[in-house]
Amino acid sequence: MLTLPHRPIRIAVAITLAVAITALIALVLWSILTAASGGATGSRIDIPHLLRMTSIQAGLTTVLSITVGIALAWALNRLRFPGRDLVVGLFASAIVTPGMVVAFGLLSIWGRNGWINQASEAWFGISIGSPAYGLSGILLAHVVLDGALAARIMLARLDAIPTGRLKTGQSLGLSAFQRFAIIDWPALRGTIPGLAAIIFLLAFTSFPIVLLLGGGPANQTLEVAIYAAVRQDFDLAGAVLLAATQIAVCSLVILAASALAPIPTNFGASTPPRWRDRGPARSLQALVLLGCTIGFLLPLTAVLVDGVGAGMGRVVAQPAFWWAAASSLVIGTTSALLTLLLALALALGRGATGSGTLRTLLGMPAFAYLAVPAVVLSLGFFLLVRTLGIAPSTAAPFVVILGNSLLALPFAMATLGPPLEAIARTRGKLIRSLGLSGWRQFALVEYPLLGRDIGVMLALAFCFSLGDLGVIALFGTQDFQTLPLMMFRALGSYRNNDAAAIAAILLIGTIAAFVGLPKLFERIADAAR
Amino acid sequence: MVKFTRLALAVLSGLFVAPAFAEEVPILRIYTYDGFAAEWGPGPGLKAGFEAICGGCFVEFIAADSSIGTLRRVQLEGDTTEADLIVGLDTAIAGEARATGLFADHELDLSGLSLPGEWTDTQFVPFDYAHFAFVYDTDTVPNPPKSFEELIALPDDFKIVVQDPRSATPGLGLVLWIAAAYGDRAPEIWAGLKPHILTVTREWSESYNLFLEGEADMALSYSTSPAYHIISEGDDTIKAALFEEGHLAQTEVAGVLKSSHAPALAQKFLAYLTSPEGQKQIPSTNWMFPVIDLGADLDPTFATLPQPEKTLVLSDDDIAANGQRWVDEMLAAVQ
Repeated sequence: MLTLPHRPIRIAVAITLAVAITALIALVLWSILTAASGGATGSRIDIPHLLRMTSIQAGLTTVLSITVGIALAWALNRLRFPGRDLVVGLFASAIVTPGMVVAFGLLSIWGRNGWINQASEAWFGISIGSPAYGLSGILLAHVVLDGALAARIMLARLDAIPTGRLKTGQSLGLSAFQRFAIIDWPALRGTIPGLAAIIFLLAFTSFPIVLLLGGGPANQTLEVAIYAAVRQDFDLAGAVLLAATQIAVCSLVILAASALAPIPTNFGASTPPRWRDRGPARSLQALVLLGCTIGFLLPLTAVLVDGVGAGMGRVVAQPAFWWAAASSLVIGTTSALLTLLLALALALGRGATGSGTLRTLLGMPAFAYLAVPAVVLSLGFFLLVRTLGIAPSTAAPFVVILGNSLLALPFAMATLGPPLEAIARTRGKLIRSLGLSGWRQFALVEYPLLGRDIGVMLALAFCFSLGDLGVIALFGTQDFQTLPLMMFRALGSYRNNDAAAIAAILLIGTIAAFVGLPKLFERIADAAR
Repeated sequence: MVKFTRLALAVLSGLFVAPAFAEEVPILRIYTYDGFAAEWGPGPGLKAGFEAICGGCFVEFIAADSSIGTLRRVQLEGDTTEADLIVGLDTAIAGEARATGLFADHELDLSGLSLPGEWTDTQFVPFDYAHFAFVYDTDTVPNPPKSFEELIALPDDFKIVVQDPRSATPGLGLVLWIAAAYGDRAPEIWAGLKPHILTVTREWSESYNLFLEGEADMALSYSTSPAYHIISEGDDTIKAALFEEGHLAQTEVAGVLKSSHAPALAQKFLAYLTSPEGQKQIPSTNWMFPVIDLGADLDPTFATLPQPEKTLVLSDDDIAANGQRWVDEMLAAVQ
């Protein structure tokens, strides 16, 4: 590794940050454990039952999402039609679409008085009941989000199949099925375990969707049970036990997943196909694409239709809305910038060292948060500030910003890490021979090449925190609320129109940030070049 | 460094908190449930009424997630809580609330109240009451069930919405109601109800909303709920289903926290809440019976509402001894 420039400061900063984050997580866990030992009585929560239910839900979500993902990726890879880029972009946006928004849209579509039931009753005179609640509702919402995510990642794999292989296949006259089995499947197979682990983790720790659609105690994840234990039962001992269980399960899944391929979050444009299938396969592809697009778009359309209607005027007339919107923007921006700083510092340090152990160590903080998810972290912080005698409302903004930054860190590291390491590898010699300082290396070489990646990362972090409910759920007050929390409260209280309007605003804001920020930063970095 | 941190804290929290009022005016902070603080609830009227007579004070209603959530919140916040008062617990949760040691005595003379029974509680002050009941719409449910067993016997697509007994006082009330009516058979009744339960919501208003939106056929509410539709909307199609087993009544209560920054003011608010001026606001905003005799000030519609023939009663000791077990049985049955 002689080619790596000597950057002791980068490594030192990264180590300091990694240690600080680890210490913070340890402090949070410690405060949970002390609170639990201090006088809390035995808990009544049936953890094995919860674990079983959550695992079944997450398992089903994983299988269904991967299946939908494969079918959709297959269809998108083969079909060429006007607006294809737009459709591909839409599915890519699933990663940032707030769970609450999707859950709300699903209620409008699949509820007893929803669009589908109304249509079905008008045309066939039969009702399909209320699939929006309970396990079916949770699975629907998860598959909408995670199926689209899986499809986008697998489509990238299919797009990357070398043209040579395709030409050979085409000249051999492979049938549509043979083509999938011989050419596509080997390309997809590699991503499935890693992707399955991530989807399982997302479903296992799902919070807003389960809170809204679970139907109360009948269907919970551990996250929702922790929230219920704290907010409904004041059962801190139970919450801690649940948190410990959650951490144990997630760590196991992460350990398994870290041995597998990482998840790319940054995609280039998908190139339209040259070799298209014919006959029934093509009809099937069109059908799959149509079904998935409708399934994905319908809830989001419902959100926009419901939101732009009755509630919007009333909502924007409320000062509370503007406070919540301002809080959301400030929190989103601050936590995105903090995420950028943390991820850059960690990734630069990681890229600057040749030591394998150190690289693993510096990669750890990114995973810490996945094991200690939003509600657990929030609970820990809550207890910590209480022990310190600080009013939770004073600490709330800091905790929410920090929590959201940590939440986005794994995705930020996955976005910035690989390109930075590639730069260090390929341009290390050049940088050394030019004798660039660390700062000039960043300003002249790394930053211009990273423009789009920084934009993508900021967009991800901003959108995650814009849609967050888990971190703020325990900290929010009437004076300090974000848009998702305001929406959650509106839903819980009579004001469905308000909730619809906020959901629409959240959806528009998320998509705008997700599409706009990468473009903006690409342009800024280009100007710097 | 400490100074800087403090400064940063002050600046940043200032960014997020709505403009504060000048500190000379004492502020009374009241934790309550969302429906109470809502613009259509009793909160705004009581705030205006009390501010007019308190001689310079500012009342702030802070809506927690749910009625029982107000108690959980002060338990979580401990000594750092800003709350002076909690309004919106009920007699069923009062025992647990008392056991936290967070509440002070009200020191009021409540002998003038007009309640079904004598009021002896030294910490909690009652402010309204009504019987729990399922409400339905005569347009969609022409033949409502007349008992829990009739409800259970209906086809599974007859849906009800109820509340979580851990977060909402009516949710807890339903658990106690079924326990009072069926004793050891309660788990069996819950198991029978399970297929009919569309969802268990955190708070009453969410359930009621789902019912009004047509997502469910019946919602757990109160025998007085139809008064809202008759008085405010001129709609007499919403009715309370009366059950042959008898109904349990709820009395909602308020209490002052020991940690209150303005205990005298808080006590004054409790006195106002039970005074004729305060009580007048309750029936047409919270849609419950007042706890004093309002005479002509009570809308005559309330007298026309059908009331259950039989009122079930559970003693405080019974609730203290078995309440947790009944809630656990309910949760186990609907899981």
